[in-house]
Amino acid sequence: SRHSTALGYSPASLVPCRIMPVRWSRYNPSYLEPDVKKESYQKPLEELTEEEREQMELKAVRPIKAAPPTLSSSVFSDPMISKFTNMMMKSGNKVLARSLMSQTLEAIKRKQLEKYHRAPENEKETIECNPYVIFHQALKNCQPIVGLSNITKGGKTYQVPVPLTDNRKRFLAMKWLITECRENKHRRMMMPEKLSQELLLAFNNEGPIIKRKHVLHKMAEGNRAYAHFRWW
Amino acid sequence: QLDHGCALYTAARGGLSSVSTQDVPAERPRAVFHTSEGDPAKHTEQHEGRLYNIPLEEVKAVFPHGLPQRFQQQIQTFNEARVMVRKPALELLAYLKGSNFAHPAVRYVIYGERGTGKTMTLCHVVHYCSRQGWLVLHVPDAHLWMKNCKELLQSSYNKDRLDQPLQASVWLRNFKTSNERFLQEIKTQKKYMWGKRESTEEGRPLGEVVEQGLARVRSATDAVGVVLRELKQQSHRGSFRLLVAVDGVNALWGRTTLRKEDKSPVSPEELTLVHNLRKMVRNDWSGGAIVTTLSQTGSLFKPSSAYTPQELLGKEGFDALDPFVPIPVPNYSPREFESCYGYYLERKWLQHEKAHTEDGKAELQFLSGSNPRQLDRLAGPL
Repeated sequence: SRHSTALGYSPASLVPCRIMPVRWSRYNPSYLEPDVKKESYQKPLEELTEEEREQMELKAVRPIKAAPPTLSSSVFSDPMISKFTNMMMKSGNKVLARSLMSQTLEAIKRKQLEKYHRAPENEKETIECNPYVIFHQALKNCQPIVGLSNITKGGKTYQVPVPLTDNRKRFLAMKWLITECRENKHRRMMMPEKLSQELLLAFNNEGPIIKRKHVLHKMAEGNRAYAHFRWW
Repeated sequence: QLDHGCALYTAARGGLSSVSTQDVPAERPRAVFHTSEGDPAKHTEQHEGRLYNIPLEEVKAVFPHGLPQRFQQQIQTFNEARVMVRKPALELLAYLKGSNFAHPAVRYVIYGERGTGKTMTLCHVVHYCSRQGWLVLHVPDAHLWMKNCKELLQSSYNKDRLDQPLQASVWLRNFKTSNERFLQEIKTQKKYMWGKRESTEEGRPLGEVVEQGLARVRSATDAVGVVLRELKQQSHRGSFRLLVAVDGVNALWGRTTLRKEDKSPVSPEELTLVHNLRKMVRNDWSGGAIVTTLSQTGSLFKPSSAYTPQELLGKEGFDALDPFVPIPVPNYSPREFESCYGYYLERKWLQHEKAHTEDGKAELQFLSGSNPRQLDRLAGPL
């Protein structure tokens, strides 16, 4: 249970106030991260260097943190797909989100394979059938380069073009994709079908999400004059 | 003797026989797990674990209904229908080949855990029988008659029973597609009255009864009953062999979720279709065989861990079907798993780069537990 494993670590300065940290890790620093890579356990003892041997011995003695549900030792696990699945999840129903994701990937694969098998020989190489490649490329195509942020100067708020970090770009692309599929679809259409349609369009640089990205870029280009308001 | 020349399939057969005489077709070299033997009658132990092709026109003619949903999607995607030859099917085919048709019909019950391939075994047997020129009475899923019925009419023939016009007409349409030529050759032996004005005289072809059922949806259920009765009475003569293939036979002795107008529950005996099908599955006729499948997947009020005949059929069903030949269907053997995995790779169904590696294959085998349905579902997104 929670009480036995997580001994709260309170820094010495806070001890008299008896405040327990809530937002950060409550693990004792002696707990190690779980290691799920098969390769690290398959190496025979002789091949390990000094540090690795020490690490192995440490793992035998120290307690290990609980593995989070996103951590997987499967060869098929993909961090981007897991992130997307988590963003699609509603009220903690990961089972449903995951099944929707797998149905989406299957739908993409089916559509592309049907096109592939019916295409003439010379066009077969141009058709991409791997749903993971399509997913990653589509997300990359949807990522904006600059974003807009609200900066208040002299009483007025300006939309200032601002560079985005990688994480923010990925987040925006996934968010746009999910909101587009949730809102602009027919009531009876299933989410996997709509998602697969949007992903295929984004893969070919078409579709409403790419349009949204271009609209953002145009607005940023239009507000170039205010770029010097940014101080970071 | 009716002409077993299979006039319908001559074109398909001609194409296939040219393929089977050649060793290696010109388009691509066949891998180890394929077999070019397209006739189920010639499948032997050496074909075990291999996949054989059914031409698409034949699929449309022989299986207007009856193939599992996922398999139909697979046919659509791969543009071909490949069925694996497995031990339970070979066993059944051997029994059918060696059976004496003067004796009463033997009942075979295919059972096994969820997703092990019972329906596909049944489809393999149905394909064999239709190739041999038998008359196939295929009920794709008896559970569909026990639930989600929008219209329940009181039967005009017997006041206590209830008709299901929609289900009956759908079944009649598919029956007509698969057994066109028999409907012209078999004649009715009695005069049947449909309501006050319409009737079918004695000696008319059975096709007219089917047309009547399709045209007048109200009498579709009675048309089904007439068809079953005629086939049962005439099968012993030997002019045709009859195969009764029922998927999910445990539905006939289970419970329904249907209710009458006064909200009282309907029991299966009160449904005309079920009543007639139960009479068909009894072994008091000769000149054919009865092959059935147990199915927990569509069943009502049965726990998901139940798969044995005793659990799924209940006392009543077991006594009704007793004696029967049980045919268990296990999960994939290592050889069958290799074959299925190789087929998915060849058809480019497994697209993930790691799926081509040994690690990926071991992981698929472990996660699916060599269960055909789980393997299919796992390989879907990969």
